[in-house]
Amino acid sequence: MPGTLGRRLLPLPLVLLGASALVFLLPRASGLDTTRTVLRSRIADSAPDPAAAERVSRELGLDGPLWQQYLLWLGSALRGDLGLSFSTRTAVVPQLVAALGVSTLLTASALLLAGLVGIPAGVTAARRPGGPVDRAVTTLSVLGAAVPEFILAPLLVLVFAVALPLLPAAGWGGPAAAVLPVVTLALFPAALAAQLTRAETADVLGTLHIAAARARGLSERRLLWVHAARRSLTSVTALSGMFFAGLLGGSVVVEVVFAVPGLGRLLYDAVLAQDLPVVQGGLLALVTIAVLTTVGAEVVQFALDPLARRAAR
Amino acid sequence: MHPAPTRSRAVVLALLACLVTACGAGTAPQAGVAVPDGVVTIGLQFAPRSGFAVDTDDAFVLTQLGAVETLVAVDGERRPQPGLATEWTQVEPTTWRFTLRPGVTFHDGTPLTADAVVGALRYVAGVAAPPRAIAGAALTAEADGDAVLVRTAAPDPILPLRLSAPGTAILAPSAYAGDGPPSVVGTGTGLLRITEADAAQGVTLERFDGYWGERAGVASVVARFLPDPTARALAFRAGDVDVVLGLPEPAVLELQSTPDVEVQTVPTPRTASLYLNASAPPFADVRVRRAVALAVDRTALAEQALAGSGLPASEVFGPAVPWGGTGPVPAADPAAAADLLAQAGYGPDNPLTVRLWTYANRPELPTLATAVQAMLAGAGITAEIRIGEYAAQEPELLAGRYDMMVLSRNLLTDLPDAAGVLTSDYTCSGSYNLNRYCSPEFDALVAGLVDLPDPAARQDVFARAAQLLEADTAGVPLVHTVDTSATRGVTGFVPDPANRVLVTSELARTG
Repeated sequence: MPGTLGRRLLPLPLVLLGASALVFLLPRASGLDTTRTVLRSRIADSAPDPAAAERVSRELGLDGPLWQQYLLWLGSALRGDLGLSFSTRTAVVPQLVAALGVSTLLTASALLLAGLVGIPAGVTAARRPGGPVDRAVTTLSVLGAAVPEFILAPLLVLVFAVALPLLPAAGWGGPAAAVLPVVTLALFPAALAAQLTRAETADVLGTLHIAAARARGLSERRLLWVHAARRSLTSVTALSGMFFAGLLGGSVVVEVVFAVPGLGRLLYDAVLAQDLPVVQGGLLALVTIAVLTTVGAEVVQFALDPLARRAAR
Repeated sequence: MHPAPTRSRAVVLALLACLVTACGAGTAPQAGVAVPDGVVTIGLQFAPRSGFAVDTDDAFVLTQLGAVETLVAVDGERRPQPGLATEWTQVEPTTWRFTLRPGVTFHDGTPLTADAVVGALRYVAGVAAPPRAIAGAALTAEADGDAVLVRTAAPDPILPLRLSAPGTAILAPSAYAGDGPPSVVGTGTGLLRITEADAAQGVTLERFDGYWGERAGVASVVARFLPDPTARALAFRAGDVDVVLGLPEPAVLELQSTPDVEVQTVPTPRTASLYLNASAPPFADVRVRRAVALAVDRTALAEQALAGSGLPASEVFGPAVPWGGTGPVPAADPAAAADLLAQAGYGPDNPLTVRLWTYANRPELPTLATAVQAMLAGAGITAEIRIGEYAAQEPELLAGRYDMMVLSRNLLTDLPDAAGVLTSDYTCSGSYNLNRYCSPEFDALVAGLVDLPDPAARQDVFARAAQLLEADTAGVPLVHTVDTSATRGVTGFVPDPANRVLVTSELARTG
């Protein structure tokens, strides 16, 4: 296991170096005039004074050649300093940490909820393929995967904040405010987890390994929930790593509709405002997390699946 | 960019708005008289983009919430009134003396002194991009007893008005102690003191009992930033906020008929216009520009295309300002438009085809462009719509490489004086003259403002300038935007067309 982990983590510095060049260059390839965009976000003047534009360009460090800007940024980033936001003129790192904290809580809660609902539903459905439970789970999971967040979010607000005033409609702070965003975000992974678990469990239940266990006199419940379900979780755990990284920075719709100060909203606003230090820092953080969570998911997969462990050896 | 995605988004938004309005009414507090020491929650549509930096447009949030003040205030007629300064005189052509209001205390307990004001003005004048109102003025300040002398590089007849802009608000010296933008927590002079400021979520304010003016009617205000229109409407329906700004049109229609909810509509100085590039054919010919103006039915655009969420424009300035056009809106006359086009050499044998640009950053613009396209077709003009991103289009616009464009512009963002926008947008050498309009008569009229300090006389010039633009068809003003707000369980909320003030001493909860 440590050897496998080491092999997976070895290319990380190289991946991050490549990612740093990409996240630095991509926003600059948009063709937009960053100085003018920043000026417009500070003072919405359609005809800014050229002298002011020059001063702002100097203040933002955009007046030097591109390679010099990159090396300066990379050097600072290696020291843990991602610079100052072009918009707020305050340090990027605390902004990212705060937003990442919110998004991590939101995403982890959503994936946990998705797992708690989707996996048992999938396993139960696999017990009798074609039965009423299977049909219900399949229908609900297809529906869950099909309803987009921008429809589900206001629907949930209408029901649970307006018609039944049980939860706040928007905002962040306290467990009550987190319920609707978490449920909205959890629906799609829950539906996917149910479908995957159902398919995998049904496959595992048909294997010789299960038939042998059944012949040894193991109870159906134990067969289903310990032997079959455990092995069928491998694809769900593999996906959860990617989901985690994707949802961290990609839950923009949920964060905008519920006014949640997460990473997705921070990056979305930063892209629109050409706030390059925030965009660069945020993307770099996301790439790092994506790599680490994928490796983490593989580790969990190894722990759950003896076949995968043998294959790795 | 293809317009289809915008249409689908509009359909989705309309569907969501229907969902918003189809549900049962939210909880409504009992109507009644003002309750002292209440808490009012406000849902704002725009979050600060620059970390509450007072030298940026974020200053509007601070003045709206009654946390900060400027040396000069403005009244409903957009004329200067005493603020933190009680009086002012022009002691020299380039120097004004502002006498400070005695007995004013900052929220941190320190007194408002001439040195504090000088420090604040020097900071804002010295940032890389000073606020529009004082940009280019080369403003300097020095203390003079209980007054402040403010100097400009050139004689400035409207310096008091410039110092009414939110970006020139005065904060306590402690605000400027750090490295970043000045801190706004507990450093203002307004009737409410900021206790928490989070640019992503909102601001919490409490009544400042040491305020020099009338005491606030609320104990505290919680302002929440809710940028999504549907989410704002839902938060109001759910009772999460007592006051909400910038409602989507379907929600307005529903809330207007909801008991205990007061919906108010106020015109803004924002105008959506059809810009016509007069530097090249076909719009170099004034007959073609007039034909376009005649082909467009501005009343139908406001009342039908925008479903009443705008007012038809008769001139570039509308009812949001005292000098705005009050005359009848020009009626559409496609037949007369076709005649003018024929005189200019266009007709069935030589059809006129133009490119009509707009951008989707403001959702009403593609709708307006589509309606304008249909109206132009009625006069024999084929307009090919191209929807893009404004930031990407701007270089082409400034270079005059376009035919016509539907564009929305806030004409008086922070300074209640139109000299700046008339100069930049319509004079021959104007830096934002998208219409490429050039009239010596117009330039002379605007140039005369340099020696005109009287606000009433200046407003008269602004009105004449707008009439001249209309006569020369320097673009076609289409609609003036309106802002809509809704309140429930509060009294004393009056929307401000200038978008500077939301919270006043009259605002209170009712019970």
